[in-house]
Amino acid sequence: MMQAIRNYFVFLGRSGRMAFVGDWRYYTWMGVLTAFCLLGINAYARQFAYGLVVTGMSDEVSWGVYIANFTFLVGVAAAAVMMVIPVYIYNNEELHDLVIFGELLAVAAILMCLAFVTVDLGRPDRFWHLIPGIGQFNFPASMLSWDVLVLNGYLLLNVHICGYLLYCRYRGRTPAKWFYIPFVFIAIVWAVSIHTVTAFLYVGLGGRPFWNSAIVGPRFLASAFTAGPALIILAMQVVRRVTASAPAAEAWLAPGQAGAAHTPKGRPATLSDLELLARHLAELASVPAELRQNILVGAMVLEAKAGDVFLRQGDADKVAFFVLKGRVVVKREENGRLRVTRSLGPGEQFGEISALAGTPRTATAIAEEPALVLRLPADSLRKLMTVPQMNKIIRSRMSERLLITDRALMTLRSIVQVSMLINVFLLANEVFKEFYSGNLHVASSKYLFLGLHGHHALVPWIWTAIVFNLAAMVLLVLPVSRSLKWLNVTCVLCIVGIWIEKGMGLVIPGFIPTPLGELVEYRPSLNETLVCFGIWAFGLLCYTVFLRMAVPILQGRLSKANEGQPALGLGGVAAQP
Amino acid sequence: MPPSPSTPKQSNGPSANGLSRRSFLRTSAVLGSGLAALAASLAPLRHLNDFPSVDQFLQKYYKELTPEEMAKVLKRIEDEVEKQYGLLPHTAHVRDRKPMNGVEFVYALNLTRCIGCRKCVHACVAENNQSRTPEIQYIRVVRLPHGSLDLEKAEHNYNPETVPEKGYFYMPVQCQQCKNPPCVKVCPVHATWQDADGITVIDYNWCIGCRYCAAACPYWARHFNFTAPSIPKERLNLDMAYLGNRPRRQGVMEKCHFCVQRTRVGRYPACLEVCPVGARKFGNILDPESEVSYILRTKRVFIQLKEEMGTSPRFFYYFDV
Repeated sequence: MMQAIRNYFVFLGRSGRMAFVGDWRYYTWMGVLTAFCLLGINAYARQFAYGLVVTGMSDEVSWGVYIANFTFLVGVAAAAVMMVIPVYIYNNEELHDLVIFGELLAVAAILMCLAFVTVDLGRPDRFWHLIPGIGQFNFPASMLSWDVLVLNGYLLLNVHICGYLLYCRYRGRTPAKWFYIPFVFIAIVWAVSIHTVTAFLYVGLGGRPFWNSAIVGPRFLASAFTAGPALIILAMQVVRRVTASAPAAEAWLAPGQAGAAHTPKGRPATLSDLELLARHLAELASVPAELRQNILVGAMVLEAKAGDVFLRQGDADKVAFFVLKGRVVVKREENGRLRVTRSLGPGEQFGEISALAGTPRTATAIAEEPALVLRLPADSLRKLMTVPQMNKIIRSRMSERLLITDRALMTLRSIVQVSMLINVFLLANEVFKEFYSGNLHVASSKYLFLGLHGHHALVPWIWTAIVFNLAAMVLLVLPVSRSLKWLNVTCVLCIVGIWIEKGMGLVIPGFIPTPLGELVEYRPSLNETLVCFGIWAFGLLCYTVFLRMAVPILQGRLSKANEGQPALGLGGVAAQP
Repeated sequence: MPPSPSTPKQSNGPSANGLSRRSFLRTSAVLGSGLAALAASLAPLRHLNDFPSVDQFLQKYYKELTPEEMAKVLKRIEDEVEKQYGLLPHTAHVRDRKPMNGVEFVYALNLTRCIGCRKCVHACVAENNQSRTPEIQYIRVVRLPHGSLDLEKAEHNYNPETVPEKGYFYMPVQCQQCKNPPCVKVCPVHATWQDADGITVIDYNWCIGCRYCAAACPYWARHFNFTAPSIPKERLNLDMAYLGNRPRRQGVMEKCHFCVQRTRVGRYPACLEVCPVGARKFGNILDPESEVSYILRTKRVFIQLKEEMGTSPRFFYYFDV
């Protein structure tokens, strides 16, 4: 027990330390975010001292850009589930690693949501009145009390799921299904619930006809499933960029260059080599002696220097490898860029998928340091896999790799595509109902879309949103958005369009005109805006740190096996300390 | 990160010892400047003048206070008010006024008589210790064109030489003390509730300032202290109630409470007493002999504002026909 706790703290400590290691781009990015955080803290300190009077809010428009951002971000958090469903319900392997990134984004988004609600409180010192059991919790009558429960519950669920999966990956264990799959399914339902509850926050208010519409809930979900995956598409490309290296710097890519890359020398493998492997791969103990002898037929042990290449992307040879000593890095070339997909230590395998399936190599494996590697013919591997324990460990490790393929991004693109079509359709429904019937309650919509009695602060905003959403929708249905460049443009359009539409475009007009028919406009103050920037910077900071920890773990660069070694960079070489 | 195997690591010291000393110095420099930047960014907190005391911070919910605890709280609040406004000791009186048995208050307002003079607005401000800067008022009088109750046609800022004006009528709107109050339903912490006499009250020491009730109220009756309220010392009404007119703090909600400090001891609300035309009637609906019972029994038409909301107000508008 003590050992398990110690192990866990070593894991936390080592992952935590990753947050402080990076190249100049990383430090610049983190520095800029920290600066914005401090500006936000400064602005909030001012608000804390003088009250919400430093915002643009008033008795007439009593919620503003804080609650608008909160609403948008609950959607982003809920959208993480759109990564989870294809993987766990439809067994889509392409999206497998994206699940963890999606859930980490959900965690960061929920943290931002909690920050936005907190800064909106007039008496943040009384937050404890909201804690069930300690304060007075108006559950189930108040939708806000539901929101407190579902948001914090969702935070815990996601922290548990990705924390557990990452820890297992770190330990090189197979995650126990009972310990996370039930939570995955709870999280799927929960994700829908957090956004529905947030919609009900507005829908439940009979005194505000602009919000009191049953379609708000579905609209929230549709817009969330547009903006959330769009954000993940952009974030994943950033991850791909920073884990990639320029091919020119990689000598081994040019096979023609004499002396640039070597194929390691080999000697026939012996039983003592298998003993060495068994030290790092406990399951090998279950292999009977005669089978061990049997698989040695055709097996070689390769002694590699750093930079030696074991197999090349595109080759078709039917051998699999096990690392006996040293480290091997697996890189994949895509669109002219190289990405580290995994880094392997003693006891781990590579090349097994092509060996078993007979398909061309999907990546290149290079010795990262002097290494000893066992090379097995595909037949030997198959024999080895007749032993159930070996079969289990080899199969489970087959899926452990950091692969963000273009196809995965295209799957996300189709999610964004469908959601955006539904979102625009639902918005059109709302607009029709409001304007065609033309009853007294159309005032808020008139104010939003056309301006009312000379007041039209929101009109340019909402039309920007509509133009952005429509442009994104057109781009999404055209094949042009299959190119990553256009997909990025489309994603930015989606995110900005939806931020306006369901943030400012939903929260503010609900208050204008007031229930007594008074027209008072709202404009966020500078102080309020700085607080928002601060919280966004804080959220991005969290997400960056989460990724900084998760990526090396998924790549296998940060694992139990290499405890005690210096921290490694993302790209291939040891980072500067 | 791009690999740079050919560049030697520049930061490496000559020995492990040198490296750790250097990294220690660097770490402490980064940490120090970070803390300095954080402290600098927190500087505006120096202007904080409403930092809750331990007693304020830990004060229990109104309904959970025992009579002894309530007495202590009332004493503390009296001291706070005296200290804040520089009053002599024992001049401020904060009492816990409870609803009377067998009483349900109802308000009736005669729209034929109201002349839109806004005297009720200012009497209310004076009685209930409402903030003068920024201005908070519980009653909003709107001017409507004859023949329409459409609030979208309401003029809030009418300002003629004399009232009434030809072609218009006036409608004062304040908390309607709904039987089915949306504000009570949405409050996440039970800081606002409907008492036995039908008055919806607020525990100003329990409200967290989320303003959800303000969003829920169809009558724009709830008003928020966006900053610390200010009342001239000599204007302070020192006859106060815990759930009523005691001065509020920054960041909490307030609204009309039918003057609980007056009505729960048998007096009329301030807005009624000041009305020069007798447009305002107030009383116990459970008493068949009361004026409001008579009005609701005999007037053919009366209006509950926004009746379609299902809030069922205890505030009735009627006309002399």
